Amino acid sequence: MKCFHFSEMPYPYISPEAEEENRGLKYFMPNRYYDPARGYELYQRYLDEYELADELGLNLMVNEHHQSASTLHVSATLSAASVLARTRNGRVLVLGTPLPHRENPVRVAEEVAYLDSISAGRIDCGFVRGVQGETWPSNQNPAHNMDMFIEAHDLIKEAWTRHDVFSWEGRFYHYRYVSIWPRPYQQPHPPIWVSGTTRRLVEWTARHGYTLCNLLGTYDDTASSFRLYRKTAVDAGLPEPSPDNFAYLAFCHVAPTEEQARRSGEKLMWYLKQGRLRLGAASPPGYSSTTAAVAALRGKLGEVRKYSFERLVDEGIMLVGTPDTVAKQIQRLYEATGVGNLILMNQAGEMTSNEVRDSLCLFAREVLPAVAPIGRAWQDDDTSWRVDRDRGPVETVLASALS
Amino acid sequence: MTEANGSGAPRLLFLHDADVLPGPLGSLRELAAEFDVEVPRHPGFGTDMDAAAADWDCVADLAQHYLHRLERDEGDAAGPLHLAGAGFGGWIALEMAVRRQRRFASLILVSPYGVKLFGRTEREFADILLLDPAEVVELGWADPAACHGLRMPGFPAHQDDAQNERAFADRAALARYAWKPFMHDPRLRRWLHILTIPTLVVAGGADRLVAPAHSSALADLIPGARYVEIPGAGHYPYLETPDAFRRAVTSFISDISANRKIGARQ
Repeated sequence: MKCFHFSEMPYPYISPEAEEENRGLKYFMPNRYYDPARGYELYQRYLDEYELADELGLNLMVNEHHQSASTLHVSATLSAASVLARTRNGRVLVLGTPLPHRENPVRVAEEVAYLDSISAGRIDCGFVRGVQGETWPSNQNPAHNMDMFIEAHDLIKEAWTRHDVFSWEGRFYHYRYVSIWPRPYQQPHPPIWVSGTTRRLVEWTARHGYTLCNLLGTYDDTASSFRLYRKTAVDAGLPEPSPDNFAYLAFCHVAPTEEQARRSGEKLMWYLKQGRLRLGAASPPGYSSTTAAVAALRGKLGEVRKYSFERLVDEGIMLVGTPDTVAKQIQRLYEATGVGNLILMNQAGEMTSNEVRDSLCLFAREVLPAVAPIGRAWQDDDTSWRVDRDRGPVETVLASALS
Repeated sequence: MTEANGSGAPRLLFLHDADVLPGPLGSLRELAAEFDVEVPRHPGFGTDMDAAAADWDCVADLAQHYLHRLERDEGDAAGPLHLAGAGFGGWIALEMAVRRQRRFASLILVSPYGVKLFGRTEREFADILLLDPAEVVELGWADPAACHGLRMPGFPAHQDDAQNERAFADRAALARYAWKPFMHDPRLRRWLHILTIPTLVVAGGADRLVAPAHSSALADLIPGARYVEIPGAGHYPYLETPDAFRRAVTSFISDISANRKIGARQ
């Protein structure tokens, strides 16, 4: 099991009144609530935590959201550059660049090639559609989101791998002369990761052999999504996917006692606060199928937000407890889903830097060695998710992740 | 889908707004006594053309579609036809008129989207792709309690899942046609000056989806256009004040017939 440290870098100083008045923290939040001096302190603090995580032997993950007090990452590639400059060892997973929301895919190809080049190939490159709400800050057409994602990917891959000047006259992107400098350090290109649950996206990811990441899904939903991936890959004539083809993002906090772990771990639930986004904001027109849109109307979108702390632990979304407890939770996650990469959201909301650092140190000392071997001998493990053993139904799951 | 009322009546092609139910509603039903009224459903909004139109991504596609259909079905020699459109349909009608105005006896626009008139940071069209249905009703009706004839995701509340899926698909189609620039085409404004057909712009005095000031300023840009504001109506005067709307239309058309021309705006 490979483990990644992740912090969304939230801005936790919004009053409940301001949050209520603005229907939550995201997308429509007036920036008069942002204090530049406090913002500077937060950035230094969060980057220090990334630096510590790297020294402790963890890999690192960054993302981006926009116009949000929930995260101060504004560009996954910018954040990756900052983290790379502070660290020497871990891989830096850019998960991800929301391709439909970036006007210029060639620029994305260049930026990722730059990150890969300055770090001698420490980059894992995630591409995402962008959660539904990202539609509003970027103002890109949600009805074209999936098609833009695929065309932007195709163009970026061409820019990385075709070592000559070429032209691109697609549906959404137009360039007459493309040949990027630098080329990626990892050849032909950095490993590509994709997160999402939409059936078309999961099948597309499987056929390309990219790593599929599930964010905060329940054991069952994550297993269903990975099952669809495995069947699609095998049906397409690819080898059986290994745990390395899968990633999962969970909340994590470890402490010497269960009580202490829970006391701090409950602060992670800040990230799941409901907000009151309009339906139109949380489910923009044409982003999802009409069936999924009706499910959103019926309150099924982001159902995870309504779970109690106990349920979040039971469903595998919250890895909280003593090192021994958390190691067992991770073992269970592997047995239920066959995942080989674990992204740990070790910070949310008002959790202090000391809490994060204590948890990181304890995790690195006692959990990391225990879980590192998990999945290495996956073909010998007695698990339920191997393609020839898995009789579960291939179902599409609704997005558990959060607009 | 033609509401025939007999033979020889003048024809009225009425292009619907983005969130109204199919068919002739409100005063369109009454106008069918005097006109041969047709209210076609736009491709993408639940028609047998939806699959063929899945790649259409601008209102010019819809204008081209309707102009082609007119040419295909009746040839250029067919009789006089009044072209009307409300809201989103008004935008389509304007796009058709600047392309082939001589095909139409007149142009009737009801609080149309389509032309951006004010400043870069002035939001002149309410964000109907974001707002909750209750907010659209609040902004779109002088008397929100009287709202009828609309369909949006989750509205009316008793709507079943199939109807909600249809409403979501309508919203997705609107996004394809009108997402960016939002609810307008910058190219349209620069051709308004060529319009010479008799034009009527109708606005509800209480419309806060497309403010009456916008419709009035738009009428100023169309040579000779008549502007009529109906108090007590919002964005849907043909639904909210059907009698007043019918009178505005019939008096406009009888003036055309009487004068063969429309004077300066009044």
